[in-house]
Amino acid sequence: MGSYRRIDCIFFSEFHPTLGPKITYQVPEEYISRELFDTVQVYIITKPELQNKLITVTAMEKKLIGCPVCIEHKKYSRNALLFNLGLVCDARTKTCALEPIVKKLSGYLTTLELESGFISNEESKQKLLPILSTLLEELNVTGACTLPIDDSNTIHLKLIEQRKDPLVVQEYDVPVFTKNKDHFIKSQWDLTTQQILPFVDGYRHIQKISAEADVELNLVRIAVQNLLYYEVVTLVSIFQYSNVYCTTPKVQNLIDKKCLQEECIHYVSKLGQRTNLRDVFQLYCGLTPGTTVRDLCSRYSHQLQRVDERKLIQFGLMKGLIRRLQKYPVKVVRDERSRPPRLYTGCHSYDEICCKTGMSYKELDERLENDPNIVVCWK
Amino acid sequence: MYKQWSVDLNSDAKLMPKQVESSLQPNGEKTSPISVILVSSGSRGNKLLFRYPFQRVSENTSSATSKQRSPYVLNTSGDSVEDQDGDSREQTPLTDEQLVAGFSDSILATILATKSDMCGKKFELKIDNVRFVGHPTLLQPPHTIQANADASVINCMHNLSRRIAIALQHEERRCQYLTREAKLMLAVQDEVTTMTETDGTPQSPFRQILPKCKLARDLKEAYDSLCTTGVVRLHINNWLEVSFCLPHKIHRVGGKHIPPEALERSLKAIRPYHALLLLDNEKALLAQLPLDCSPALVRLIKTCSAVKNLQQLAQDADLALLQVFQIAAHLVYWGKAIIIYPLCENNVYMLSPHANICIYSPLAEQFALQFPGHDLPSMLAKFSLPVSLSEFRNPLDAPVHEAQLIQMVVWMLQHRLLFQLHTYVCLMVLPVEEEPGLWEEEPPLVTRVTGRSLSTPSALSFGSPTSSDDMTLTSPSMDNSSAELQTGGDSPLNKRMTETLLASLTEHERQAILRVPAAQNPEDLRLFARLLHYFRGHHHLEEIMYNENMSRSQLKTLFDKFRSVLVITNHEDPIISLFQSPPD
Repeated sequence: MGSYRRIDCIFFSEFHPTLGPKITYQVPEEYISRELFDTVQVYIITKPELQNKLITVTAMEKKLIGCPVCIEHKKYSRNALLFNLGLVCDARTKTCALEPIVKKLSGYLTTLELESGFISNEESKQKLLPILSTLLEELNVTGACTLPIDDSNTIHLKLIEQRKDPLVVQEYDVPVFTKNKDHFIKSQWDLTTQQILPFVDGYRHIQKISAEADVELNLVRIAVQNLLYYEVVTLVSIFQYSNVYCTTPKVQNLIDKKCLQEECIHYVSKLGQRTNLRDVFQLYCGLTPGTTVRDLCSRYSHQLQRVDERKLIQFGLMKGLIRRLQKYPVKVVRDERSRPPRLYTGCHSYDEICCKTGMSYKELDERLENDPNIVVCWK
Repeated sequence: MYKQWSVDLNSDAKLMPKQVESSLQPNGEKTSPISVILVSSGSRGNKLLFRYPFQRVSENTSSATSKQRSPYVLNTSGDSVEDQDGDSREQTPLTDEQLVAGFSDSILATILATKSDMCGKKFELKIDNVRFVGHPTLLQPPHTIQANADASVINCMHNLSRRIAIALQHEERRCQYLTREAKLMLAVQDEVTTMTETDGTPQSPFRQILPKCKLARDLKEAYDSLCTTGVVRLHINNWLEVSFCLPHKIHRVGGKHIPPEALERSLKAIRPYHALLLLDNEKALLAQLPLDCSPALVRLIKTCSAVKNLQQLAQDADLALLQVFQIAAHLVYWGKAIIIYPLCENNVYMLSPHANICIYSPLAEQFALQFPGHDLPSMLAKFSLPVSLSEFRNPLDAPVHEAQLIQMVVWMLQHRLLFQLHTYVCLMVLPVEEEPGLWEEEPPLVTRVTGRSLSTPSALSFGSPTSSDDMTLTSPSMDNSSAELQTGGDSPLNKRMTETLLASLTEHERQAILRVPAAQNPEDLRLFARLLHYFRGHHHLEEIMYNENMSRSQLKTLFDKFRSVLVITNHEDPIISLFQSPPD
């Protein structure tokens, strides 16, 4: 797991009937100084209002994450048992993934106590020390831990990576695999995903996949969004020879980064052939506003002898070397009597309009060309 | 340190660390605080002095349970950045009540009144979905923020806490300001408690505090400002000014904020040939400045213009170049200006991919008001293909009309609708003749830049002494190489220089260049060799023009002559495009 989420210490703290809040066990020993504990104890063994809440306090260059528990019962001295099993990390650590673990552990201990008095019984409580040791080691090394506590109880824990929420998937988006499709064990994916996988080829858009795989549109969107979340696919736009692209500043990465050059040449070369960097770079730089892919093909036919133009565009979009210029029709003049424009507002691209209405680009072009009230913006 | 304080203060109000905390607002707005809280810890125990917004006293058992947000709902806030703890998920929207109402006054007092050990440092506490940030010193305004806040937002909040704390500390020392205000607050709270007991009608004591207590009003104002504009200006005790801006709120493009680090990197890369474009008109901007602001700032604002580069601006405003850089950076940081390339005929502009071109957008309305008779989408459509300013203007139009067109372009730049395209050149020679077996070993066909460093000074280093490097730009003709190489013809010195310059290339590249017909002309070859280090795709035409004191046509002619070994492309300048588009 690396030092990214390294746990420096695991401790078990409780409210002792005579000594008050103290740390009963900690691994490694003496990690939490007296000073540190004094400063933060009010957040470890807390007032009732804060119990069962995940509390992260930062002090003295350390972050302590815990979840204080209180179990009330007459059998306890002071009628309540207060404890907290927490983790200590460096103050700069990103501890978000550790929070569910702390919560789960507090839940486990609560259950153990309620079922068999695990904590209040001095003898069984001692088992906590080796448990803490194992937890610390296994979570740091493998990110997962399975611990049998006694005959009937086992603890299962796993650190789950938190990822960014994925973008919304539109019906005119095209999913393309970022890694080789064959690397995945398909049976591990859900049924819907398995059904659409053969149609995810980097050229079919969502609507088309839905039609050809015979899966409902929203299900396809959800499945692809799931793949997006795990960064297995990325989204590009529909490919047509009439499309227009232009370079971004990132195209210079092709000059600066040797590994990108190799990857690119490998990806875009036609089967059995190998192109060279100059040809590829010239092709990308040949993409300018006003130039369609068709134009590119006729102007650079020599360079395209060994390059698959569809793969060229795909790679360029995936790596951000180029971007697509979309057309947006805007109705600028209208008389008061006509209805307000629904699609020609400047918010909907040709891709979207054609997808939604079923028209082809050519049809849409013809329709709009003859309308003097509509301007088209490219961006 | 606080021990010293307790001696100075009134014996019955031994004020120890106070905390003012602010919490970030729920409903996905990760850069606004949820509330501002002032807590004191003293001989009388821990007390919550003030909090804003007030907690509704009547227990609204809100049946509005937090909606389980569908993961496929459109992500409108757009701020999916990682927070301090690495959590980058969207928060489920909860109302204010549910989040901070869960914390009663007394518990807030307990958890926020920290021990002395924590004084003088950043305080941070996260409880479930709420994060408290403050600066425990004497008077630390803790801020409660939504747990998912970006680390830099937290740092900024902490910064604000600290500034307020310092101001309050100062005023306390001078005239016991805080003690007096605290007494007021506690008095009102007591009053309200007794009233509640007699009347039975529950009221929020904090609401009563507001009209009586300036500090409370200040804290409320800080909260309100942070939630809306992101710019806070307070006058503590009507005397000390505390000003602060939350860059995350100010620098938002396309729904995403520009992280301060990226902003700072861009600011450090500004060059003297860039220009400063004010985002407000001059009068409005001057009106916003504090009375005691520096005259240099005023002069600069009055002198700056979209057609003037920073170097000229320095001369016209009679300021050192470094000072101009600093003031410019300051204005940019506060969201009052952006950096552009100065307007001129040959500038080529294109519609920004993030421009809002919807007919219903507020921008369209504003444009129509500003330029009656013109509509924004039609104007923007003209920039669908890259167009130069000279093309955009029609020379047959009346000068008045021309001037208006320029104004429109400036307006569009100010509102981030356009960006400028620059030409970048890259040396790339034909590959080695293909031979079977040699494919795997193709040499990298890219120019390696070795040895010779650019004559451009490293742009801006805050606070560093003016180096002589900065000053060479004031007279580019002092560039040594051009002076030398002007001694004409084929002198051995020139020849050797050319050879040295070309030595950084591979043999293959050298041969390819020498094969170009134009290479037979020693002048052309010399010029080419001299400019070689710009041909990596990182320096645009205008930069080369500026550094080497050459005209556009000179350069274009050279590019044309050597076109068989060069690849040319146009795109935006990544350094200043930060202001036009959100970073990835």
